[in-house]
Order: sequence, then C-alpha cells, then structure tokens
Amino acid sequence: MALTASDVTIRFGGVVAVNRMALDVLPGEIVGLIGPNGAGKTTFINCLSGTYRPNAGSALWGGDELIGLSPSALLRKGVARTFQNVASLHDLTVLDIAKLGASVRRDRRFGGHLLDFFRSERALEAALTESILAPLELTDVAHKPIQTLSYGRRKAVDLARALAGDPQLLLLDEPVAGLTSHEGMAMAKAVRDVRDRLGCAVIMVEHKMDVVMSTCDRIAVMAAGSKIFEGLPAAVQADAEVRRVYLGEP
Amino acid sequence: MSARQLAITVGVAVLMGVLGLALGRYAAYLVNAVAIAALGALSLNLIIGYCGQISFAQGALLGVGAYTAGNLSNAGLDGAVAILGGGLLGAAVSALVGLPAMRLRGLYFAIATLAAQAILEYLFKILDPLTNGVSGLVITPPTILGFPMNSDQSLVVPSLVILVLAWLAVSRLMRTDLGRAFLVVRESEIVAKGMGIDVSHAKMQAFLIGGFIAGVAGALAGYANRLASPEAFTLDLSADYIAMIIIGGLGTWPGPLIGAAFVVLLPEAIQRVGEAAGISDILSALRELAFGLLIILFLIFEPRGLTALLSRLRPRGIGAAPHGSVGAPGESGQPQEGGSR
Repeated sequence: MALTASDVTIRFGGVVAVNRMALDVLPGEIVGLIGPNGAGKTTFINCLSGTYRPNAGSALWGGDELIGLSPSALLRKGVARTFQNVASLHDLTVLDIAKLGASVRRDRRFGGHLLDFFRSERALEAALTESILAPLELTDVAHKPIQTLSYGRRKAVDLARALAGDPQLLLLDEPVAGLTSHEGMAMAKAVRDVRDRLGCAVIMVEHKMDVVMSTCDRIAVMAAGSKIFEGLPAAVQADAEVRRVYLGEP
Repeated sequence: MSARQLAITVGVAVLMGVLGLALGRYAAYLVNAVAIAALGALSLNLIIGYCGQISFAQGALLGVGAYTAGNLSNAGLDGAVAILGGGLLGAAVSALVGLPAMRLRGLYFAIATLAAQAILEYLFKILDPLTNGVSGLVITPPTILGFPMNSDQSLVVPSLVILVLAWLAVSRLMRTDLGRAFLVVRESEIVAKGMGIDVSHAKMQAFLIGGFIAGVAGALAGYANRLASPEAFTLDLSADYIAMIIIGGLGTWPGPLIGAAFVVLLPEAIQRVGEAAGISDILSALRELAFGLLIILFLIFEPRGLTALLSRLRPRGIGAAPHGSVGAPGESGQPQEGGSR
C-alpha cells in the first residue's frame, strides 16, 4: 500500500505549523524528512500518527483516510511510529514493551482479556525475541527493566515496540538523534533491514545528514511548514535553495 | 505469576491458616482482619499502585460489598453466592467511581473520589430498607458452601482461600497485555496513547477488577463483624487502605499484604502494650499520629515501602519487588511528544 498525503495543514493559534504539506510514499521506500528546527517535521508526523488532528488535508493509505483516526486505530491499520524522546517506563522490561507493541493490532474488548489470562506467552516471547529483539541486538537485555538501559538502547526498544505491531507504514521521529555514531549506524542498518524484510513504507525525520543520505531512497525538505524540495539524496545536496535554508553553503 | 510467587502465596496463606486455627479465637480474629485488609489493599494497589489512579473511595466500596453480601445471605442465599454478589456490585459501583477518571487526572480525579466516598456514606445512612440506616445492618452468620460461619475460626479458611485466589489472579493479570497497559498508563497517559493503548478502557478495567476485589473484601468484613454500619466504611477506612499500600510499597507485589499486616497488627500491639502498662488511653490516641508520621516518612525516604526495605536487608530476598525507585504514582514519566515542531 502507498501513502498519499496532501494539503495537510495544522494551525496552533496564529501559527501555521504545517502548511499544505504533501508527501507520497511507496511500499518499500524510505523517505527522509529533513529541514531546520521548527519546520514542522515532527508535527507532520504527529498528524499522520493520530497525535494531532490537522485542520485540513488528507492522508490516504491504500484508499483509507488516516486523518482523524486515533493512534490505536492507526496501529491496527499497520501505521506505527517511534518517538523522539523515549519515556522511561518503570518496571517494564524490554520484552514487556515488545509485547505491548505486539498487542495493539488486536482489538481486545469483549472478553479478549479473559483469554489472555489463561494463555501462555512463551510462544509469543520466543517469536518476539527471534524476529524483533535479535535484529536490534536487544536479546541480552530482554528481561531488563528499560530504565536500566542506555539512551541508545532505549531508542532501539522504542523501535522494537513499533516493529512488534507488524507495521506497513513506519513513522520514525529522529531515530538516531542523541545516539553515538556507532549506535546510529546500527540503527540505520536496522531500519533498512526492516524495510527489506517487511517491505513497509518508512518516513524518517532526521537531522544527521550522513545517516539520511545513506539510508533514504528519497528526501523531502521542509521549511516553515511547507515542502520546499523533494528528490533523490544527491539532488537534495546539490539544490541551492536547500543549502541556503538548511544544509549551509560549503 | 511465576512459580515462586505461587509457592510464596500458598505458603504464606497456609502459615496464616495454621496460626489462625491453632492459637485460638483471638488469633483467628487477627488472621481474618489481616486477610480482609490485604484483599482491600490488593484492590487499591491495583488501582493506585499499578494503574496510577488515586482513589479515596475504596472504604465505601468495601461497604457496598458488606451490605450486598449481608442482605443476600440474610435472605437465605449461600455465603459464597452472597460474596460473589458483593464483588459484582462492588465492581459496578467502582466503575461509577472511576467514571470521572475518563476526563480527570491526578489530584482532580482524587477529589472526585472523595465526593464518591461521601455520597456512598450518605447512601448507607438513608437507604433504610437495605442498610437499616445509622444503626447498621445486622448480618446473621451465613453458611459458605454448607459450612456455618458461626465463629472467627470458621471464617479463616474462606477468607484465606479468597485471598490466595485474588492474589494469584492479580499477579497473573500483571503479566498480560492489560496489566502492562496499566503500568504505562500510570507512568504517562500521553505515552500510553502514543503506544496505541486505549487509556480509558484500561482505567475502567482497573476500576472494575479493583471494585470486585474490594466488594469481596467488604463481604468478608461484614461476615467477620456480623454488622455492616456506616461508621465501619468511612473515609478513615479509605485512608487506612492508602496507608497500607504506601507503607507496604506502592505497586509492589508483596506490598499489600505487608502493609495490611502492619496497619492491622500495630494498633493491636500498641493496645496490648498499653493494657500491660496501664496507659492504653494515651497510646490509642497516638495511633493516628503514628500512622500519619509513618506515611510521611515512607513517602520521603522509601516510596517503595516495607517491601523495598525488606529486599534491601536481604538483596536476594523478596525479589518480587521490582528494582529501581518510583515516585508517587501521579508523578509521570517524561512525556514523549517533542512539542510542536
């Protein structure tokens, strides 16, 4: 399925944070979303993931309108996101977070919880450990509470949570920000691997240009709420306007 | 629940049962009191300690269970059915108490539960045909599955069996998706929403389950006292339960039992010491002061309560207590949304 977002606009009081933003993403494609601070990148992601409700615009996902759905409804449709800052959730282990991520695609009212009560989680744990935690190098800390982990590993846990829901559209909000360069490269590789394995569409907001250039198939540049450029990574680096607004002159 | 939790739960219950049945009427009375308080504390620990919804109405919920079970067994039903009825009505009323939590958070919700407690106390006084008003409903000792509950000793087995079942059920619950969702809701509702958790649904489940256990505890309390009266289920009782879960350790596995044992047995001990020394009047007046002081001290120095203190004494001891420290449940984790960019 492909994502077609068009005319997405959201205002906070008098500030137009995102202004008639449009973006298409094909399955199996990683689209980078870059731009200066305050450009509206995260706000745009928030509109797509149900955190904010835009004032106007549409985001079609295989014919379904995503705008106006709650985060939980979106997750059931296969739209998952990660967060810029990772919360430390006391008492929850890495595996617990992965299980929470896997749980959101099932609608559990009408007695579903009662069934959980009597069902063993062994098989689920084994499957999550093998398919989600192992590729992110989290197997050794699977039973550790997440607040004992480093920031970089907690970001990997957040990605694991999103992946456990088996997403078809993955929205990544600064996945490598704050990570060491080694962790950042591992994260970028994990994102590419996920795309290869699941064939999902990925939108990645990121500032680290080396990661963006090496990971993304296409790059969209935002400034002051609007898209000012879209193209292949090489074209973005060459564009004079993008250099002036964001990358800086060499 | 883990195999070790199962073993500890059954072991502690058997120990309590042996003590209660071997050492005479007074010991049986104390075991019942601790078991009932532990059930109530378990239910409140679920709502406050795990799900993070501060409620001051738990005392009144026990009252709902006591009046319901009392009326049902007075009408001739078996005690087991009556206790179940007390639990179900407790769950229903608890859902009503929890309704404001769909919109209110933290202290604002806590104030709403204060109002619920006051309304329920008032209803206990005026719903005369069901509650017999201020003088209270006299409960004839029932039979539970055919066994007559005509002494403190006879109630020991049913209350401990129910305690074990409820304890294991909550332990199991905390290892399901719903239980994990409670913990995320406690830390931050914003985070929970972003993770796709239906926050209102999770809170409502916590109130339903917590209300059921509280209703069952109240039913047992009614049978233990053979009376359900408005004075027994006041805000004071709600405060006692909050004291239990704070002293025992908020959101810990053994906390409710440890806290309940402490809060029930300490005044009894003070009483005995006072009687022996001939100064019982002064000492019983000190009870409230002692509890207030204890709660403040625990909140400042050890929010994880006695559970954490015990596990610190023996590093590999009551290991069920999760490591790391947690503040009051209202204190949220770092919100994830990065503002508007």
